[in-house]
Amino acid sequence: MPKDFWRKSRVVVLGGGSFGSVLAQLASERCREVMIYVRDEAQARSMNSTRSSLDHQSNLVLGPNIITVSDPNRILEQRFEAMLWCLPAGACREAARVFARAFRGDEILIHATKGLEENSIKRISEVLREEIPCPRIGVLSGPNLASELALGEPAATVVASHFPEVVDAGIELFHHSKFRVYRGTDVVGVEWAGALKNIYAIASGALHGFGYGMNAKSFMVTRSLAEMAKFAVSRGAQERTFMGLAGFGDLMATCLSPASRNFTVGYRLGLGEKLPQILESMSQVAEGVRTTAIVVKEARATGVSMPIACAVQDLIDGKADSKEGLVSLLNRAPISFDH
Amino acid sequence: MSLEDFSYIRPDLLRHTIASTLKDSSAFDSEKVLTEALFSEKQRLNREGFSWLTFLRLKRDRSLWQAVRSDLLSSDPLIDFRARLEQVVSHFANEICGNFSETVYRLTTKSLPLGFNFLLNAASVKTILPWKFQEAVSDRIEMQGEIARLRKLSKLGTVLLVPTHQSHMDSVLIGYIVYLLGLPPVAYGAGLNLFSNPFLGFFMNNLGAYTVDRKKTGELYKRTLKNYSIELLRQRVHSLFFPGGGRSRSGAIESKLKLGLLGTALSAEIKNYQEQRNQPQVFIVPMVTSYHFVLEAGSLIEDYLSEAGRHRFIITNDEASQLSKVVKFFWHLFKSRSRMTVRIGSPMDVFGNIVDDHGKAIGPNGTTIDPKLWVTSCGVLGPDAKRDREYVRILGEKIVDRFYKEHPVLSSSLVAYAYFESLRKKHPTLELYALLRLTQSQRVVERTYVLQILERIMLKINRSYEQGLIQKSVTLVGQSPTQVLESGIEELGLFHGVSVVKVRDDYLTSEDLSLLYYYRNRLSGYDLSSHRELIQISPGVIDAQGFLA
Repeated sequence: MPKDFWRKSRVVVLGGGSFGSVLAQLASERCREVMIYVRDEAQARSMNSTRSSLDHQSNLVLGPNIITVSDPNRILEQRFEAMLWCLPAGACREAARVFARAFRGDEILIHATKGLEENSIKRISEVLREEIPCPRIGVLSGPNLASELALGEPAATVVASHFPEVVDAGIELFHHSKFRVYRGTDVVGVEWAGALKNIYAIASGALHGFGYGMNAKSFMVTRSLAEMAKFAVSRGAQERTFMGLAGFGDLMATCLSPASRNFTVGYRLGLGEKLPQILESMSQVAEGVRTTAIVVKEARATGVSMPIACAVQDLIDGKADSKEGLVSLLNRAPISFDH
Repeated sequence: MSLEDFSYIRPDLLRHTIASTLKDSSAFDSEKVLTEALFSEKQRLNREGFSWLTFLRLKRDRSLWQAVRSDLLSSDPLIDFRARLEQVVSHFANEICGNFSETVYRLTTKSLPLGFNFLLNAASVKTILPWKFQEAVSDRIEMQGEIARLRKLSKLGTVLLVPTHQSHMDSVLIGYIVYLLGLPPVAYGAGLNLFSNPFLGFFMNNLGAYTVDRKKTGELYKRTLKNYSIELLRQRVHSLFFPGGGRSRSGAIESKLKLGLLGTALSAEIKNYQEQRNQPQVFIVPMVTSYHFVLEAGSLIEDYLSEAGRHRFIITNDEASQLSKVVKFFWHLFKSRSRMTVRIGSPMDVFGNIVDDHGKAIGPNGTTIDPKLWVTSCGVLGPDAKRDREYVRILGEKIVDRFYKEHPVLSSSLVAYAYFESLRKKHPTLELYALLRLTQSQRVVERTYVLQILERIMLKINRSYEQGLIQKSVTLVGQSPTQVLESGIEELGLFHGVSVVKVRDDYLTSEDLSLLYYYRNRLSGYDLSSHRELIQISPGVIDAQGFLA
């Protein structure tokens, strides 16, 4: 690789949410320019003038070489070397069609979307590969609560790709003294781990809302890990990925932190609030609600046993016995397992 | 440059192949490379049995490796291992590098159809008709697909044909099709065992075949072979690989490919870009052949069922090596009304993107692919072993996908599938091997029952056809299930001397269930079996009960 290649590069970040902004800030210290794309023009103007992200509660200050745009043509017209994809799963297909023409073929595309396409149950990298003429695609995932990252607290993540140069780019752009980037090749495992853990964050939040302590939550988190690994392995993931940052690490962070959006949804459901009311009051997307519906439907169709995910779906649907559903997992017949 | 200029480019081909292989080996100590090569070659030579046909070749091999052994055991510090390595690579390259004789090619392409036409008209019932109604061999070949695009692309870059592989007759058929399409002759890798036959060897040697000795498993040989293929493609010699590596043992369409030789297309294209050559692109053209009967079906399915295929990769003495059986095969082929179907699939670039008539690869959302940028990393255009390995893996997946989508279904495959399915339904608890051992009375199934299953399968096939997930042979278009059943029974496995499916009153039965299974497997991987619902496996993979899904 030519010396200073990334120093001279332009990086595009699609999505100006809290996590996208944090990653944009990390990348801005390693490249010439970062261009953040947000849909709303007023938000773009605000981010450019205040040098802060959409999430005003964070302390993040955007660097001087970061520019926020709302016109897709600004992205389409300019050459860039890497794109970081931080859009909600439901918006990925449409956005990919819009930005397909921005790619020449030698760019690096890393997505950080933890979710699935609703109808097809495709992973995000599959959606991007179908819509964008860019072969070098990777995924970034791990226990990365944006609010903590914005405060500069230590954290780590995984960048996985079948192309080693994508992982190299992820390390070049995002690896910092307080943000460690690990290498991975199991794209399928990392993507499924990132999508599935949101379901169990809702379960964990609900237990918290029901007033249960750490024993119940630990039990739930441990069995959640086994359940999500079983489902993902049936779809081509490697089981050991679930023992790492993208699996167990992310599950811990999202299930035990009140800062997690999906945990918050579960917590408020546990307190007895209704889902529409909760979602209406949230400024950010809780992917877990969509993911639960998708995965439960698929698990039922393919005969994969996912009792916790099914109980979460009942909770979301407001079924009266939802609390009993989650707790009844404790009362099942004794089974032997070794993990 | 084409194969017709072979004698002109042959010295360059050899020189570049040897130089590239030595360059690839330069990262390692020559003594170590020779030691590894000697080890694998000694093992191979120990396994070789005696044959007058291979006697001279093996004698030359033994003499070379004896000299290598002496060098390696010698304590003389002045031994030039590099020179010895060059000698070994040169030996491999000369063995691999075929010949091409334009005279033999012209003679063969003119005389072979004449011979075939003679045989066809001698065997055909149409012999009694006036001369002007006599048939030509080409009438017995149904060609479908992207024929015009293939012709255009052959003038815009190098074409690499990647067909499915069922029989040694594939080479003859595809060679003849290339001639019928008016394309320049293609270079292709053929098993060294086929060259041992003096008759076949003469034609193979002179028709653009180069040798692939699958018994040579050493890295040095493989590297030489790959470099030879790269050089051929770089010299714009249209080539052909069977990416499945060998003939399909089960009869199913290949679902796993050998990626080694396939990767040479990308390597050749990258080198072309680096040297800024004209027309640098290599176009990958999948082809799918469909036969109502396969000469070697008996040996292949036996090998598959005995699982010997895992250990005995090369079948050396099957039906294709017996001239009488080959003649008998063509006699039966021409005697029947049987047609072979060949479909030329959508051409792709080396990354698996579909290519248009102008050689432009089309990406998602109508974007145009610039292949140079796909092999540019951090601003530098060139090879990258890890990146390129991933590209070749993706290309392999795309070729398999095209194989399934371009497969022209025959009535005989449908009937074999439907009848086999009826046996599975009648004996739902039996495993594959138990099913294949059914007694004569257990094999009898009512014709109407098979017809019902055939109707259901044809509905699924028609749905898939409309979605472009499979193709149909012309003989299948507009046919009712009853007509398909009749023609399928008539065509299926005519050659074998036993009835793969036969009608007795209103019942169907079979004299060879292994052959039935072989022909039925051509439709595995299409989710046609109702048993599929119970089995969660990938297409082409053996399921728990031993069936192909």
